[in-house]
Amino acid sequence: MIVEARGVGFAYPPSRPRRAHPFRLADLAFGLAPGEILGVIGPNSAGKTTLIRLLTRVLEPAAGEILLEGRPLARLDRAEVARRVAVVPQGVPPQFPFSVEELVLMGRFPHAPARYFEDAADRAVAHGAMAAAGVLELAALPLDSLSGGERQRAVIARALAQEPRLLVLDEPTAHLDLRHQAEAATLLRRLNRERGVSMLLVSHDLNFAAEVCDRLLLLAAGRPVRLGTPEEVLEAPVLEAVYGCEVHVEKSAASRRPVVQVVWPDARGR
Amino acid sequence: MSPRARLAAALGVLTLVLLAVAALALFLGGAAISPRAVLAALAGRAGAQSVESVVTLSIRLPRIAVAALAGGALAVAGVAFQALTRNPLAEPSVLGVSGGAAFGVVIAQSLGLGFGVLGAAGLTAFAFAGAVVAAGAVYLIAGAGRLSVQTLLLAGVIVGLFFASAITVVISLLDVNRLGGVIYWLLGNLGTLPPASLGLFALSAAAGLGLVLVHARELNLLALGEEAAQQLGVDADRLKIRIFAGAALLTASVVAFAGPIGFVGLIVPHALRMLLGADNRLLVPAAFVGGASFLLAADTLARSIVAPGELSVGVITSFCGAPVFVWLLRTRYRALL
Amino acid sequence: MPKLLVLAALLGLAAPAHALSVRDMLGREVTLAAPPARIVSLVPSVTEILFALGAEDRLVGVTDFCDYPPAARRKPRVGGMLTPSLEVIAALRPDLVVATTEGNREETFAQLRRLGVPVYLVAAHHLADVWDAIARLGALTGREAAAGPLLAGLRARVRAVEQAVAPRPRPRVLYVLWPEPLIVPGRESLVTELIARAGGRSITAAEGSDYPRFGLEAAVARAPEVILLANHSASAGPIDRERWRGLTSVPAIRAGRLHAVDGDLLHRYGPRVVDGLERLARAIHPEAFR
Repeated sequence: MIVEARGVGFAYPPSRPRRAHPFRLADLAFGLAPGEILGVIGPNSAGKTTLIRLLTRVLEPAAGEILLEGRPLARLDRAEVARRVAVVPQGVPPQFPFSVEELVLMGRFPHAPARYFEDAADRAVAHGAMAAAGVLELAALPLDSLSGGERQRAVIARALAQEPRLLVLDEPTAHLDLRHQAEAATLLRRLNRERGVSMLLVSHDLNFAAEVCDRLLLLAAGRPVRLGTPEEVLEAPVLEAVYGCEVHVEKSAASRRPVVQVVWPDARGR
Repeated sequence: MSPRARLAAALGVLTLVLLAVAALALFLGGAAISPRAVLAALAGRAGAQSVESVVTLSIRLPRIAVAALAGGALAVAGVAFQALTRNPLAEPSVLGVSGGAAFGVVIAQSLGLGFGVLGAAGLTAFAFAGAVVAAGAVYLIAGAGRLSVQTLLLAGVIVGLFFASAITVVISLLDVNRLGGVIYWLLGNLGTLPPASLGLFALSAAAGLGLVLVHARELNLLALGEEAAQQLGVDADRLKIRIFAGAALLTASVVAFAGPIGFVGLIVPHALRMLLGADNRLLVPAAFVGGASFLLAADTLARSIVAPGELSVGVITSFCGAPVFVWLLRTRYRALL
Repeated sequence: MPKLLVLAALLGLAAPAHALSVRDMLGREVTLAAPPARIVSLVPSVTEILFALGAEDRLVGVTDFCDYPPAARRKPRVGGMLTPSLEVIAALRPDLVVATTEGNREETFAQLRRLGVPVYLVAAHHLADVWDAIARLGALTGREAAAGPLLAGLRARVRAVEQAVAPRPRPRVLYVLWPEPLIVPGRESLVTELIARAGGRSITAAEGSDYPRFGLEAAVARAPEVILLANHSASAGPIDRERWRGLTSVPAIRAGRLHAVDGDLLHRYGPRVVDGLERLARAIHPEAFR
């Protein structure tokens, strides 16, 4: 198992009143096998982002434990975690002043934090990562000058440069148009197949998750509801209970994965 | 070109510029001394008690050292603070620290400490005390332990404003004869320092520089956002505190030994960023040398333009700094468009 | 506010009877209803002059800095020179306020005039101005009888100093008002004239305005033979000689001729300016006064 969560619980301290209702994560348990792509889905505020923060030690669980390759996460220091787990965030902050190559090289930091400049080995790894993500030709360009899709791939390259065992993707298709969504799906599956990278993918896009992931974990209000294959998890009654609206689930003719459609409320009235 | 090579090239060029400016500064000044006499004094061939020896070795040389150190320290503090707050307008004086240090010195001068045997030592101690109080206030307001960078900027501005008003109060209570000196000092007072003070200045500037330099690579990662940096292995809270402490130490040293000087921490980092890019591993060392040249040039101008009188160096940095800054702003925006 | 309006009205009503019209030292016309009996002084120099003239009974208010003679400290205080309290001044019901453009603010004068209080301005850049100020204040307060002998005595002391130093060579003198940054007396400063009369030559006598900022190396290049450090606090410690010790090309340093002088005596333009002159002369020509 790359990652194992056992009975994990967490609550944001009351001094951070970001939510009207205090948020709690409870009884979270799952395992991620090597080479697997696990999707974490659920409504807003279900706990998906909190889960990412727990996996990367930005937050510490209040209950239970998380194991990384069999070792308790709490015993690893930040750099050790970063050498094994890489997060692909939703983007980079605006007005990011660096080039693609400089961004990707940042991914080498956890491997030698004390080094002032990256060495030749670091640059080689970075090159490989940029090639794998398809941004090698863009290496010298400033990040601000790239399109959304290119920027996403550059960020993936940076995560790959960390040489992680586990790639965590936070809403990889947010802000991407259809073509780039398709490209992202292809890229992720290729990385998974060719490099054997295990992935944990957090998404609110059910159909993307269904296409790309081997298994899905459905969260609602901080609790796990279902864990299984996309067919097992994406069943209409389950989704309706969790999302609170009417849905219709079909099987895609092309890939035979489930496709979820919302039944729009107005349509029935007419 | 690899970053290491670029750093070496940048430092090489900037060092040459610094040496050129320093050489110029050695030959210029209110006392009309011929270049040959200056060289003789440097070589030790002029009498120890001759005018050229005293002026060159006891007045100009120490002053060049002070100006260079102050310029370098302010520029590095500017780079650090801009990276820390991810705000290109951040300037060391916005830290609030220079306001506190200036207030400390104004108090000391109005108590007559500038004259006594305690003299420079007393003044410096008061400056650092004021700086520490201001830095502490900013640190506590901004969230002590978990510094919030937005609050940091606001807290710095507020603390700085507070001390500026406090200084105004003290000035209004002083009698006329002391007024002139204090007001001139507030415009920046680069002067000759005795060797002990110079050593202390160099030491504290070096400490601040070291603190920032050691974390230059992590500062780059901070541009990704604090959470992303943490996920890469950076201890963001510890980094913020150390950078803040380094920038505060650098700024406090300058104010304590050379009075408050503005614009250097804004102009030099931006100019260098246009030439070298945003990598702090290059910017921090380059800023130290570049800032030294800049302030040294400004000071040489300040003490030569109206010779035998002198202008405060703050006048030059503001007059030259403001238009340069506007020009930089416009060209940078044009590039972004 | 109503209090001030009433006061203004009263002053207006009280006008014509024995109206005086005088010109102050800046040439402005000042109209008084009668010889002033309640004077507020916003200038320490003027306070000293009034006491020396024996006119202190007419003095009803002084600033926080009016510390000489000691009796002046017992007079009611109206605040600082830059920030006097208009309310306190008005409450003292003065019929004349004496002020200076070097130390008080124009705004203060404007506000006082709006309240109907006459403002008499003084200024002194030369010794002649000091005598003039004493004579005018003597006339204003009806103490001409005291002013005459006072002036005669002061002038005699000045002549004595000048005679004692006349035959001697005039050394180059550097007067330091403030050491860091270096601020010196220029063309318009009273101190420059005093140094000349004390038998010295100020090396900054030709510099512009009254107290310009000066370059240390230019001062060193002019090789002063005597350096005078102005002391401003009553509780002064020993002078900081360390700062100057390294400047070994300067004759004053080599000969150890570094002296502290009392700033109050030399920057105020009351009768004590002659005390200051005598101390200057003693510092510049010690042998003449043994």
